[in-house]
Amino acid sequence: MIDVVFLLLVFFMLSARFGLDNAIPIAPALSGGGGYTGAPRLITVTADGVLLNGTPIPQTELIGSVQALMPSEDAIIVLRVRGEASLQTLVDVLDLLQRGGINNTVLAE
Amino acid sequence: MDLGRNQTKERAESIVPMINVVFLLMIFFLMTATVAPPAPFEVAPPMSDVDQPGEAGRTLFVDASGVLAWSEHRGDAVYGALAGAGLGRSAEQPLLIRADRTVAGSVIGRVIARLARGGITHAHLIVARR
Repeated sequence: MIDVVFLLLVFFMLSARFGLDNAIPIAPALSGGGGYTGAPRLITVTADGVLLNGTPIPQTELIGSVQALMPSEDAIIVLRVRGEASLQTLVDVLDLLQRGGINNTVLAE
Repeated sequence: MDLGRNQTKERAESIVPMINVVFLLMIFFLMTATVAPPAPFEVAPPMSDVDQPGEAGRTLFVDASGVLAWSEHRGDAVYGALAGAGLGRSAEQPLLIRADRTVAGSVIGRVIARLARGGITHAHLIVARR
């Protein structure tokens, strides 16, 4: 019996995964607007940098410029990826926005 | 003189405490572990500062070239399978997406949009701690 118990112990030790992975919610840009108000706030993520409403903008100025366009704290920001930008680049921009207190982002096609 | 017998008696060890410890360890592993099904391919999630544990659950995999995998389904077949899975329709049961950090971001945009058209609007992207 002790053999079986040892076997089970080894099985659980090897197959177990501890803790849960971190995750960020990614909402889709729903057709119909989904309560979007105010000026256009479209952030385009490319491999060469970030564009706000089609204009290239340094990442350091992004938060301030986006916040100036937001009518309220929880206003929706639309993100899209163009060109060869990788998922890591997109997540970096999401991190940057989250650090600036902008949480309500949606991802467009 | 009869010293020898006493000494041998003391040295006799019982196996019972060891069994107890092993049982304790086994119960610990049973309680704390989540047994995850093996990943269909190697995926390195993007690095992020986010420190927000996601839910445990079944995961949609996206590899570096944009190939999708959901249980035994591959490619576009996952959308049909996901429609019947009932995940991602409420904030309590989000769909987990484990995508490679090198995959094109536009692929994820297309996947999210296509899932949304199928009614799956709550998705969480798994990230690794930076």
